[in-house]
Amino acid sequence: MIRVSGLCKEYRAEGKTHRVLSNVSLTVNRGEKVAVLGRNGAGKSTLMRLIGGVEVPTSGRIEREMSISWPLGLQGGFQGSLTGNDNMRFIARIYNKPFDYIRAYVDDFAELGRYLSEPLKTYSMGMRARFAFALSLAIDFDCYLVDEVIAAGDQRFQRRSHEELFERRADRSMILASHISDIVKAYCSRALVLHRGRGKVFDDLQLAIDIYNEL
Amino acid sequence: MREATGGVTLFRGLAVQRRVIGALLIREIYTRFGRQSLGFVWIVAEPLVFAVPVLFMWSAIRGSHEHGIAVMPFLWSGYLPILLFRHLGGRVLMFITANAGLLYHRRVTILDIFVGRALLEIGGNYAAVIASFALFYAIGAIDVPRDLPMFYLGYFFMTWWSIAAALIVGGLSERSDWVGQIWMPYSYMYLVFSGFFYLADWLPPTLRYVALCQPYTQAYEMIRGGVFGGAIKTYGDPGYTAFVLAVLTLFGLWLMREGRKYVVVE
Repeated sequence: MIRVSGLCKEYRAEGKTHRVLSNVSLTVNRGEKVAVLGRNGAGKSTLMRLIGGVEVPTSGRIEREMSISWPLGLQGGFQGSLTGNDNMRFIARIYNKPFDYIRAYVDDFAELGRYLSEPLKTYSMGMRARFAFALSLAIDFDCYLVDEVIAAGDQRFQRRSHEELFERRADRSMILASHISDIVKAYCSRALVLHRGRGKVFDDLQLAIDIYNEL
Repeated sequence: MREATGGVTLFRGLAVQRRVIGALLIREIYTRFGRQSLGFVWIVAEPLVFAVPVLFMWSAIRGSHEHGIAVMPFLWSGYLPILLFRHLGGRVLMFITANAGLLYHRRVTILDIFVGRALLEIGGNYAAVIASFALFYAIGAIDVPRDLPMFYLGYFFMTWWSIAAALIVGGLSERSDWVGQIWMPYSYMYLVFSGFFYLADWLPPTLRYVALCQPYTQAYEMIRGGVFGGAIKTYGDPGYTAFVLAVLTLFGLWLMREGRKYVVVE
């Protein structure tokens, strides 16, 4: 279970304090897939970074009783000048997984072929997304933080992601930040709607999407 | 193959940390020196390239003896600690921001990143100490330090000081840009007041007292005492030095932890 309570995050820029998240609470149970809906700049990615432990909150608590992936977004978490293979080696060492297993899994899932021996900075957005997602699936977390990554892949990748997350790992949790309602409907059962840093959880997904569309 | 959840014991925590630091070390070598095997040679060669020409130049300008002691061992034992201090400090400026991507992996802490970098710099510096010693010894420019334990003790304190200073500089540089601006002039001024150019014994008593408040000057006294043995008078005080460095280290660790709050990850 992940329990987020009273989360606030402020940034300072040009001498002014800017509050990005204000008193946001959210609970994610094992096996639950929760959407985070919000327009650009609503604080979705910030919330993901805080839950993933990349940044530290200004105030509030995050209790993590599950292993949580790093935020799987369009960037971050990798060294662009290193090859796909070297990035995998680094991750394999950190999480103490055999490199051969990781490599085989990523090769099969992400279908990047010879690109794995090229520097990551030469990858397209879609390739990076596939690489990051495949790698996190290979490590095997209890909860995946997915920030628009699924939307970045093509149809085939979306179908395989769906298979992996729902058929083979139905007991895993996911927090999916997106503003594409089709993807949210296909993956999630509940939603947190973020607007100007404030958040409200809806158990009725359709209601959440309707409210988000009105924002 | 599942990732374990929280609640790790200290023992497991240490095992994880060792693995993470090892992975960071390898990554740092790859990103800094490339993947060719020559890259590993560079770790040793980099400090040497700085040190050898400078040392030859100075000893040529200044003659072989000064204040009755040999110039080459004096400069050798002075310059390599300078490189350690400068390279460690220079490497950590804004290092949290520069490595923010690594923080995506919650197992990697900023202290791990720091330790990874510091180990590489210290390892390179020690290798350079040995290599340059071998070189100068082979051409008869320097002798084996007379009091080796004292030399090691001095170098240990010098390493500790460089680490403490790097923690402070690294932590402060996350808060404010001007730390990076003053680092350059400071690291040059350091040449003058650190003890690289002098022994405390050569100073008038008041100035000597002030100089010996500095932990690095203390470390220099011990290093020089080690190199020259009873031939010179030195004033190193290990107890005082250890105390000051412990305080500075705690301050640096605190700054580093606070620095985490200022990090904005892209």
